[in-house]
Amino acid sequence: MRTIKNIVMFIGIVCFVFGCKNVLDLKPLDKLDSKTLFSSPEGIKVYMANLYSQLPIEDFAFGRNGFNSANINTIGIAPATQTDEAANSEYSHLVDGGGNYPWWDQGYKLIRDVNLLIETIPTLNLNEKDKSEIAGEAAFIRAYTYFALVKRYGGVPLITNTQKYNGEVESLKVPRSTEKEIWDFVLDECDLAAENLPETRTTDKRRATKWGAYALKSRAALHAASIAKYWSKAPLSGTAVTQKLVGIDAAEADSYYQECIKASEAIMNSGQFSLYKPSPATVAEAIENYRALFENPNAAPEEAIFVKGFTNPGSSGHSTDFWFNPNQTSDGSPHPGRMNPTLALVDLYESYSNPGVSAPVVTTNDGNVNDYNGFDKNKSYKTFNTPYDIFKDKDARLWATAILPGTEWKGKTIIIQGGYIQPDGTAKIETDESIVVNGIKYYTYGAAEWPQYSGFAVQAGNMTRTGFSFKKFLSKNAVPPNLGASTNDWMDFRYAEILLNYAEAVIESNYTADNAQLKAADAINVIRRRAGHKQNIPLSLTNVLRERRVELAFENKRYWDLVRRRDYHVLFNNTVRKALVPLLDLRENPVKYIFVRRNLSREAPLTFPVNFYYVSIPGIGANGLVQNPQY
Amino acid sequence: MRKKNVTRNHYYALKRLIAIVLLLTSIYIPGGYAEMTLSQDEIMVSGVVKSGSGMALPGVSVRLKSNSSKLTITNNIGAFSIQAQSTDSLVFSYVGFVSKTVAINGIKVHNVQLESEGNQMEEVVVVGYGTQKKVNLTGAISNIDGKAIQTTTHTSLAQKLQGKIAGLQIRQNTGGPGDFDAMINIRGFGSPLYVIDGIARDGGSEFQRINPEDIESISVLKDASAAIYGLNAANGVIIVTTKKGKKGKPQFKYNAVVGVQSPTGMPEMATAAQWMEMRNEADINIGKSPYISKEELLKYQQGIPGYESINWYDETMKKYAGQQQHTISAQGGSDAINYFTSFGYQTDNGLLKSNALNYEKYTFRTNLTANLAKDLTAEIQLSGRYDKKNAPGESFFEILRGTVSSLPNHRPYANDNPEYPALVTDGQSKNPLALSDRNRTGYAEDVNKFFQSSVALTYNMPFLEGLRVKGLASFDGNNYLGKNLAKSYQLFNYDAATDKYIATDLRNPTSIHNGYIDNNRVSLQAHLLYDKVIATDHKLGITLVYEQRSGWDRNASLRREYQFYTNDQIDMAGLNNQQTSGIEHQFGSKSFIGRTTYNYKEKYLFELAARYDGSYRYHPDRRWGLFPVASVGWRISEESFIKEKAPFIYNLKLRASYGLVGQDAGNPFQYVAGFSTTGGGGYEFNDGSYSSGASAPGIVNENLTWFKSNIKNVGLDLGFFEGKLSMEIDAYQRDRTGLLAYRNVSLPNTFGGSLPQENLNSDRVRGLEFTINHRQTLGDFSYSLSGNFNFARTMNVYVERGPFLNSMDKWRNGSANRWNDIVWMYDVEGQFQSQDELVSSPIQNGDLGNSRELVGDFKYRDANGDGLIDGNDALPSAWGGNPKMHYGLTLNASWKGFDLNALFQGSGNYSVRFTHAYATMFWGQGNEPAYFYDRWHKADAYNPDSEWIPGKWPAARLEQDIGALYSESSVWRKDASYVRLKSLELGYSFSGKLMQSLKISGLRIYLNAYNLFTITDPFVRPFDPEQIEGAYNAGWVYPVSKSYNIGVNVNF
Repeated sequence: MRTIKNIVMFIGIVCFVFGCKNVLDLKPLDKLDSKTLFSSPEGIKVYMANLYSQLPIEDFAFGRNGFNSANINTIGIAPATQTDEAANSEYSHLVDGGGNYPWWDQGYKLIRDVNLLIETIPTLNLNEKDKSEIAGEAAFIRAYTYFALVKRYGGVPLITNTQKYNGEVESLKVPRSTEKEIWDFVLDECDLAAENLPETRTTDKRRATKWGAYALKSRAALHAASIAKYWSKAPLSGTAVTQKLVGIDAAEADSYYQECIKASEAIMNSGQFSLYKPSPATVAEAIENYRALFENPNAAPEEAIFVKGFTNPGSSGHSTDFWFNPNQTSDGSPHPGRMNPTLALVDLYESYSNPGVSAPVVTTNDGNVNDYNGFDKNKSYKTFNTPYDIFKDKDARLWATAILPGTEWKGKTIIIQGGYIQPDGTAKIETDESIVVNGIKYYTYGAAEWPQYSGFAVQAGNMTRTGFSFKKFLSKNAVPPNLGASTNDWMDFRYAEILLNYAEAVIESNYTADNAQLKAADAINVIRRRAGHKQNIPLSLTNVLRERRVELAFENKRYWDLVRRRDYHVLFNNTVRKALVPLLDLRENPVKYIFVRRNLSREAPLTFPVNFYYVSIPGIGANGLVQNPQY
Repeated sequence: MRKKNVTRNHYYALKRLIAIVLLLTSIYIPGGYAEMTLSQDEIMVSGVVKSGSGMALPGVSVRLKSNSSKLTITNNIGAFSIQAQSTDSLVFSYVGFVSKTVAINGIKVHNVQLESEGNQMEEVVVVGYGTQKKVNLTGAISNIDGKAIQTTTHTSLAQKLQGKIAGLQIRQNTGGPGDFDAMINIRGFGSPLYVIDGIARDGGSEFQRINPEDIESISVLKDASAAIYGLNAANGVIIVTTKKGKKGKPQFKYNAVVGVQSPTGMPEMATAAQWMEMRNEADINIGKSPYISKEELLKYQQGIPGYESINWYDETMKKYAGQQQHTISAQGGSDAINYFTSFGYQTDNGLLKSNALNYEKYTFRTNLTANLAKDLTAEIQLSGRYDKKNAPGESFFEILRGTVSSLPNHRPYANDNPEYPALVTDGQSKNPLALSDRNRTGYAEDVNKFFQSSVALTYNMPFLEGLRVKGLASFDGNNYLGKNLAKSYQLFNYDAATDKYIATDLRNPTSIHNGYIDNNRVSLQAHLLYDKVIATDHKLGITLVYEQRSGWDRNASLRREYQFYTNDQIDMAGLNNQQTSGIEHQFGSKSFIGRTTYNYKEKYLFELAARYDGSYRYHPDRRWGLFPVASVGWRISEESFIKEKAPFIYNLKLRASYGLVGQDAGNPFQYVAGFSTTGGGGYEFNDGSYSSGASAPGIVNENLTWFKSNIKNVGLDLGFFEGKLSMEIDAYQRDRTGLLAYRNVSLPNTFGGSLPQENLNSDRVRGLEFTINHRQTLGDFSYSLSGNFNFARTMNVYVERGPFLNSMDKWRNGSANRWNDIVWMYDVEGQFQSQDELVSSPIQNGDLGNSRELVGDFKYRDANGDGLIDGNDALPSAWGGNPKMHYGLTLNASWKGFDLNALFQGSGNYSVRFTHAYATMFWGQGNEPAYFYDRWHKADAYNPDSEWIPGKWPAARLEQDIGALYSESSVWRKDASYVRLKSLELGYSFSGKLMQSLKISGLRIYLNAYNLFTITDPFVRPFDPEQIEGAYNAGWVYPVSKSYNIGVNVNF
């Protein structure tokens, strides 16, 4: 009896074991099939988010490690520090071998991803208008992507459908198109996007609009036009040139400039955009307006055309505050102070009293601004009561772009001092010393301990070596000292750039239709008025380019401006960038500040080789492509 | 008078369940007092005592059961005679043999055979899904019992096993409380599978936390015998069996050990005077003006007030940290139910003076065996653990770096005011005193709650003898709760001019983070077991098992920041920048297992087993795999020609095994072409609202499957003289194929998609191991020796890659058909002795020539003779960081109540290399090790014309002024081979009247020392050769400790 009972019990257990649901038939919890994903606009948006996140937007998180590298230790090397805008406090590089900022595999990944979407559009369960909007958005993304490729590599393989791999690779190989063909493709895609995209969006405001498409076209067409016009300034040779894979005929320049003008005009005439706070009452107001514009672009919808958001510290933030605060306001970041605006940039800003020309910082009574030999005790230096009086008359945007010595930032006086001149005339520069004069103790770096100053000491690379610290884009509020902790947003296209693109295209092509010359002069002057200038200046290439450099400083435009206008190799030819060193002159009583224009300390001369105008194409062995010249 | 029926202490590398039974039940049974009486019935009994294999046994004690004080000893031919009453019994006892009691029953001649205990003939070991007699094993399986584990005192089970089992490679990577990160590796194969009480359970970290007092035995399946566990058994299997109760009166045991621990070594850093001297030279040596004046330097050398040296390590760390372990257990049973239950407590304190680093653990275990009905047995096992590690809010890495790199002329407090910890940042370190203070920097706390349970029913089928069925169900749950409060804190500078303390904020704002992981696992097994003896000589065993496992886990994480710190609760923190995340996972597997063993007269042994395993991980068409193993053994010693001609050969067995095992490879669900919601980047389409992104499907690989391991093993077991000397030798080879790699197809990089991982690469491990045991008894004194050795290397056989550019590329960068752990480095020819030598030597430093080299710098050999030292001169001349050789030697001795156990252990054929402060002068402008003081320097630093004084190390210079000094070479990469006295234990067991009157059945106290001394390279010694270099190879890991302990075992 008992035996039977036990047997029954065992059978019960065995049934229980085998009768369970099949433990092997599990589904992944982090994957979706395409039906589920594309069945609703929300699902499409989720896919779109991934496409947008891959867009090669040259924002805060763009650097030598590529795009979206906010959480990567970039040792604070930003695109600006590889131009004449700024130096990194520790490192001097222009470009890494083979051209800067390579972006190839990721580009073709994005192209594959967007082609996949384009092929899916006909099957989507949406009305025709929504479908065409998505087609427009896809065109915008594809234009953006090919633009990023063509400006780096010249003509690239044009792939417009999703390739299938069946174990055979030959059929996957696509030869390079000419550079012109790719530029034309980019502009055509912009047109397609502008045609299909909505003018405004009520929800998901940061998805592309018609105006975003035109802005992209304005930028791309200007780039293409410049290459056509300035190719001969740094001509290259080789197969890639003879096959026109790189380079555009000079004859094409004007038509590209006109494309730029038309696209820019579309935005200018739309009535949707204007400058943020265009007429400040005072210079102080102008400074604050300009600073605030970058701290929070969302307050300036009239100026911002296409914004990339940074939301969550750590995961989707950027690291601007981590790397670029001056040492004194590092808030605990171990590596602040990396971005040092150069003297060349500071010189460029106009003065209010003498508009229309750049106003180099004059430090000596002889007015010579070309002596970079360092302190000379026999020279007569201009003396100042504060370390910033010397900049007094300069453009508001300088004050909002750079932290000048002795100015306030986040409640602290930022001390940037390179040394002092002892009463006996001995200069103590860039060495940690102190001296008591008339019962007061003076320190070479302006304070006793390194947390109290921000310049010139070799303190783990935290101190500026140009004499200027960085301000534009920094948050006034406390930001945790972590990588990726900053969350202010990035204006990828803003109205001021469109005005400057327009002005440059007009002056470069000598375009006169539709009052273009007047409109172009006005374009630069409205921007200047916003910066507190009262006096208009005439339209000239110098004025347009200066205005572009100061208005768009640190917006990662300078690198490409130098490339497209073929200025890089001229500017950087065994070149050492310059610093302005504030010194305390203890010979004077009361003590005064003097300034020395000087070569940057710890800077090797920098040279840009002409072949770097095109980046070398990776994977030649497998893709069978013609390599760019001189690689 | 007392009766001593077995010498207490036997430690022997081959472990014996029977011995444990004895040890647990028969320790010093208190002797009685008996009257000596003469009786009419007294007769003279005589005989010969022999071993099971027929060897005469001299020295066997023969006692009367009624009066244990009356005894005799067998002579050299094993013969004895003794007077006894004819109704009495004789008790035969002999070291290493099972005691035997024989009733006289009036018979005058008693020839007795004693079976050796343990080892030998009857020892049973746990194998996969069952047990087997040790002598009948055909696979390479080692076994250790709980007692042998306990001879080493440490908080981690891994350290208690280290050096005791051939082929079980263990390296204590760090010594931090609650770290449990020792490397455990069978034969160089990789991380093994852990099976605890018959169920595959968690990994090495959990294994190391098991309360060793609960362990009955551990078996290690080292060859293809692991195939019975199918997938995941390619690296071998460690099977833990916990204690069960035995029928009898309740027995209570209390074991306690307390001790102190301190680092085995810490590199000595330079003093303020040494540092200043060298720092000064660093400037002078490159032609700069002196760093400080001669007068200033003199003040440091004299150490006058204000110029004293500080030892940051001593400021931050204690000399000793305490540890203690307590376990109380009870076991016993009746006909109906047997029980074992235990409760354990353990603490391990860290070395920080702030006491912010420590670990504590509570464990319990209850194992019940109930006879529910005739032939029906239930086993219920429950165990749990709660443990918690506390750490300060800054990592130990940062703290140790602070003690190493902070300058010795700085002070811990600004203006020596303890309210204001100083901001010291030279060497990029921060004030370690402040960092280790949890009131300042916050804390991190890791809590684990762990629960394991199983119920098994076994039914002996009454209708067919030898047939049993068993059903087993198990549920395990594990909760991990992590909490981290990273407080913003301030460090200070003192401004004497204004008498103000200037604060620098660090790590602003304060953040709090809570993480939760909940793991669950259910295992179900059904067994059908059949054992049959056919015609006496044919023994057949059949095991059939169905097993299924499934599991799921959920994790979540919360993080907030404070506007201002209130207390350490998430709800009390600010609402800005909140971060949350969470995901769940599931897994499942199903298996069918079959095994047949057959032997003829226990002479010819055969085993055939297979596991058919299905994993959720792979495509349904490719998720099932068959893993077979076959093994054979021949017990030559059972053959008559050995028994007759060479009876001293007690055991001689040849065995061989061959099998196929699998190992999970790659992420699950790679066959599903889905859009990934986690792989894609997100985007902010509306201000402040982040939209997650779905990434496009990659190219799927439906063929992805497990690695396949072919494991071959041949072994020889040898025993002589009743097992007094025995050895086991094994040679093995494991060939793995199907290791993951990307196929080297030249897809054009415009394709936009990348190929998935495929099963392409292969490698091979080959190794040799042996164990030698010897034991002997000389009167009251007995001892045993057990040595083990293992040497194994891994070779990459096939490595998928693109074609080599040239033969140099192949030589330098090829990896196929090479050992996997080779370091390329320069040969060092010595130090430059003169400027002339420097100028005429090959260029050491590329473009900079020898412009940065100084006399005293290391001179590299120009291996290819091109006058230039570059990558082409590097040679594959060092092993990397994984030991290839492991050895251990255990010595046991006992004399009367004393017992002594010593364990020597070591590893060889590997190297260590430190970077950062431990092996760089003035790393990050910080302090440097004192060894650099023995350097090349000018007789008078302030006189550039004075002559060079040679030293062991190059002349002082800052990092940026150094040439090729820090290139990989034998200067920095050191052979870390070592031998150390891992454990030394001396115990004394009390016995006699006092114990009896206290009602204590056993009391032993012991002293134990762990890592007492180490023989190794003198450079490596202070770093401890066993310790890993850690992050950045900087060596800033929690130091491995030596410890001194005192312990007590009480049975009552």
